[in-house]
Amino acid sequence: MSDRSQLISTGEPFKFDQERDTEFERLIKRYPERESMILPALWLTQEQEGWISAEAIAYIADRIGTFASKVFECATFYTMYHLHPMGKYHICVCRTLSCWLRDKQAIVDYLRDEIGIEPGQKSEDGKFSLEEVECLGHCGTAPVVQINGEFHEEMDVEKLTALLAELN
Amino acid sequence: MAEMIKLFVNGNEVEVEAGKNLIDAIGAVGIEIPHLCYHPALGADGNCRMCLVGLEEGGPPLVPACKTPAAEGMKVLLDADHIKKIQHDVLEFQLINHPVDCPVCDQAGECSLQDYYMTYDGQKSRMTVPQVTKSKKMDFGCGVVHDQERCVLCGRCVRFCRQITRTGELGIVNRTDTARVAIFPGRPLDNRYAVNVVDLCPVGAMTSADFRFKQRVWFMKKERGVCHGCSRGCNITIDHNREKDQDDLIYRFRPLFNEQVNGYFICDEGRLSYRDENENRLTEARLSKTTISLDRAVTASLKEFKRAEGIVILISPDCSLEQMVSIKSLAEELGAPLSGFSDGYIKKGDGDDYLIQDDKAANRAGLTALNIDSSQSAFEEALAKAGLLINFNNDLSLFYDESSLKKLFKEKRVIGVTSRDTKLFQMANLVIPVASFTEYSGSIINCDNILQTFNRAITKNDAPLDMSEVAALLGGPLKTNGDRYDKLKKIVVSLNDFNPDTIPATGLKLT
Amino acid sequence: MEVKILSAKFDIEDGHKLEIAKQHGAYATIDKLFSMKPEEVIEEVRNSGLRGRGGAGFPAGVKWGFLPKGTGKPVYLAVNSDESEPATFKDRYILVKDPHMMIEGIIICSYAIGSHDTYIYIRGEYTSQVKALQAAIDEAYEAGYLGDKVAGHDFKLEVTVHRGAGAYVCGEETGLLESIEGKKGQPRAKPPFPAVAGLYGCPTIINNVQSIASLPFILEKGAEAYKVYGTEKSSGTHLFGISGHVEKPGMYELPLGLPLLEVVEKVAGGVWKGRKLKGVIPGGSSTPVLTPEEAKTVTLDYESMAEHKTMFGSGGIVVLDETVDMVKLVENLIYFYHHESCGQCTPCREGLGWMLKIIKKVVRGEGEISDIDLLSELCDNIEMKTVCVLSAACTMPVRSYLTKFRHEFDAYVSEGASTAEANQE
Ligand SMILES: Cc1cc2nc3c(=O)[nH]c(=O)nc-3n(C[C@H](O)[C@H](O)[C@H](O)COP(=O)(O)O)c2cc1C
Ligand code: SF4
Ligand code: SF4
Ligand code: SF4
Ligand code: FES
Ligand code: FES
Repeated sequence: MSDRSQLISTGEPFKFDQERDTEFERLIKRYPERESMILPALWLTQEQEGWISAEAIAYIADRIGTFASKVFECATFYTMYHLHPMGKYHICVCRTLSCWLRDKQAIVDYLRDEIGIEPGQKSEDGKFSLEEVECLGHCGTAPVVQINGEFHEEMDVEKLTALLAELN
Repeated sequence: MAEMIKLFVNGNEVEVEAGKNLIDAIGAVGIEIPHLCYHPALGADGNCRMCLVGLEEGGPPLVPACKTPAAEGMKVLLDADHIKKIQHDVLEFQLINHPVDCPVCDQAGECSLQDYYMTYDGQKSRMTVPQVTKSKKMDFGCGVVHDQERCVLCGRCVRFCRQITRTGELGIVNRTDTARVAIFPGRPLDNRYAVNVVDLCPVGAMTSADFRFKQRVWFMKKERGVCHGCSRGCNITIDHNREKDQDDLIYRFRPLFNEQVNGYFICDEGRLSYRDENENRLTEARLSKTTISLDRAVTASLKEFKRAEGIVILISPDCSLEQMVSIKSLAEELGAPLSGFSDGYIKKGDGDDYLIQDDKAANRAGLTALNIDSSQSAFEEALAKAGLLINFNNDLSLFYDESSLKKLFKEKRVIGVTSRDTKLFQMANLVIPVASFTEYSGSIINCDNILQTFNRAITKNDAPLDMSEVAALLGGPLKTNGDRYDKLKKIVVSLNDFNPDTIPATGLKLT
Repeated sequence: MEVKILSAKFDIEDGHKLEIAKQHGAYATIDKLFSMKPEEVIEEVRNSGLRGRGGAGFPAGVKWGFLPKGTGKPVYLAVNSDESEPATFKDRYILVKDPHMMIEGIIICSYAIGSHDTYIYIRGEYTSQVKALQAAIDEAYEAGYLGDKVAGHDFKLEVTVHRGAGAYVCGEETGLLESIEGKKGQPRAKPPFPAVAGLYGCPTIINNVQSIASLPFILEKGAEAYKVYGTEKSSGTHLFGISGHVEKPGMYELPLGLPLLEVVEKVAGGVWKGRKLKGVIPGGSSTPVLTPEEAKTVTLDYESMAEHKTMFGSGGIVVLDETVDMVKLVENLIYFYHHESCGQCTPCREGLGWMLKIIKKVVRGEGEISDIDLLSELCDNIEMKTVCVLSAACTMPVRSYLTKFRHEFDAYVSEGASTAEANQE
């Protein structure tokens, strides 16, 4: 894993919108301790903004009443939290065993050529970002690609071409 | 007395205290188990794996000593080859991404990792692939500088800020071997005990901006002392050194463990108060701004006494009991009222629920024990009637501003007996230098009524006298320490059994 | 060979919906449950021989029995739906296709252990799955199966879904608890065990989704009916995930104890493309690999796997055909476990990174024989010296490839990367 501790600052104060605010208040009642809300609050932020800024981490810490360092720890520990803006379509390709056995590399290579970015990068027009991820729990239908959270199984270059054509 | 139990270490029976973990229990009888993450003030975390020991019979064969309570009949294995190999192996993992450039590291000489490396490994690295790189020289605030590459991720610093100061500025971010200690951007260390993380850090990853690279630790001498920064009286180690052709200088104060006074820590202000021992010191006597010898200063003082229409003596609440009793006797001899007025030393609301006290006086309890009046009214009344003030190191400027001081001293003669060359004492007609608290032996009583003694740690090239001795030179009747103790015993009931030699190093709780 | 116990409702259209599920017997055991004493439920589960399906295979009823009595503290149930061990993809089917079977299992378990709060920890990547699960829970609340009075009985039960966010180590039971508490998923040193001091310091039982979902059948039909399936010590059925180089990869419910190769042949259609078999990973990527020879005699149960010096694990079978480059496979494996190391304890944090750099060097053709030896020595030096067994989940399989396919590693050194690679083709 690469260093995730270089947070990005927006320069704007962060705040939950009405919907997340309500959801935050609903969820916090489900736990006996407020700190349990750290992960859910990071999720709410990512849902709202697409990524998590330094300001958002500070906001969550203050809202929960805990140390910013603790929220910072979680934001950097859990790799699904995006700490910088992703592309409009965030493409995750599983790189682990069963997908590797079923040639996930062809998928990665294709995407690299087609979109022109390496895993970990975002295309200049902001349309795509690419990431290699660990086993997605769909090994029986390998290789697997997840785009904005949606699973695409038994992928091959042909299917991928069709899929990319649909995204705009 | 704690309950004792018997267990075996490497087949030898030892008697240890029950209820402690193996590191502390058998450490107390002199058998050291290597460890990095465990610290008695912070509890066992179990992450460094340096403390793995074998257990024969029953239970898992390999346990972290920090997490294992000592138990009756336990058979602990430390020196078996396979255990030594494990220590060696874990150390190797600890070292593969470590710079191991001890010669340029500030911690060298007091580094656990370096010590263990010498003891358990000492071999050439087998790491032929590139090391993990991280950031160096990071300003964490409060004068703490962090080097992520030297860090062994023991988490002591993080736990300190969460458990002890409850300020939580530090965290370990990321995971895998890219994990590192960090502050959240814009929220640096911000607590009054922060520099303790430097002492806690078992390696050179946390350094003090104040001390970094000023001295190699093996050149310094260590002496025990008691901080005079407030009425807590934290125990300290005074690290000092006299470099060639120079004076004996203090390079740092570090906390010294004392369970009933300060535990393992001290505050940052107290830690930095060593500077006052080195700087702005009054080194020579002065009469009307002209340097004079001590002899002349004493003669001049005696002349002042004779000339004066009424004398008042002011004493500092930082003075040791010995100094207090000497000065009290001098006052009696001179028939002068004695005041311990020092309201300025009390900073209301500055203290906390941990170590720091509102009262910045080291020995106010001593004033009380010796029945020395400390009221403002008594002091001001006495001064109004007197022509001469003899001020034994009492920092009146903590209470009066400059114009009030001028008013107060108007048409008065002032003799200052002091260790500090400050504005206040520059207003005096005559000043006599004395030793500061690291330069004399004495006893003080802290905020919890604990009597502590300390010995002279520093000997300056031109060592100034102890205030007690100055009091004697000025006509005080108590000439020796013996005289002083006798008198103390007489006037202070709780000190009836006072014998400074029998006071334990950890202090004596007075009742 | 396939049986349909857990997967009985998987093929029913809309079987995940409460209405439909109920028509097919969902929640039928609830009244029976409340007519029994909690100890009787535990006894029944113990008699069924149900073993934890999360990987360790610990008998469920026995684990429940570890709960201390009368602590005055709440008891928590945490359902492990992290499903992150590579080659494991079974719990997801339950979550999506028959969530009410699991909720019913949660009710059974909670009643048995005296718990009124369940947290289901689901991996963050399961985006649509978490929605499906939450929808089912909402339905169950609405229908009164969850909440203040479970199905009208004097028993309160709250179920909360907690989402992970990309960390395999949160599948480790104490890493999971830390994550629910809002911390990094760094496993705790044991003892104390979670049954004594778990979530929020309270007694806690952690069970895998499939373990929990197996309970309604056991309660309804009885321990004996469950034991009809499987072997004496490995009773019941399991959702096996078969992936890799087979013609028909997928999830299949099978009784325990079947011969592995027969399952590969008959259920999964055999090695794909008519190729030869090179090896089988029997239970998720952390289990030591079996050679074709070893695979011949092994059966799909805990005992046989142990006899073959591997593990039943999570039932994720991976078939490797003759083209697989074992050196690169090991690189892929170490990459995963290093990436997922929580970074807490020294041997795992530093050691797995070191191993990864060494294997990469070998793959580049820059390795030496001493590097291969060092790799295998590092496996020994790391294993069992750590806080949790994630490190062993890496070193155990890696050691198995290093011993069983050592010549392939040596070839990378002696022949250089390209030749070694070519020889694999
Ligand atoms: C590194 C690691 C990862 C694990 N991942 C999972 C997992 O994803 N799902 C799971 O149910 N158990 C997992 N386990 C096993 C759990 O620690 C635990 O044994 C299990 O959830 C207990 O439930 P069971 O007894 O019903 O199997 C994992 C263990 C380890 C050491
Ligand atoms: S900085 Fe020092 S105390 Fe803090 S985690 Fe690193 S090694 Fe431990
Ligand atoms: S708390 Fe008081 S006595 Fe202790 S170090 Fe600080 S100033 Fe000195
Ligand atoms: S073995 Fe690895 S994953 Fe487990 S606690 Fe240690 S560092 Fe974390
Ligand atoms: S290995 Fe790719 S989904 Fe499991
Ligand atoms: S001291 Fe025991 S693991 Fe660090």
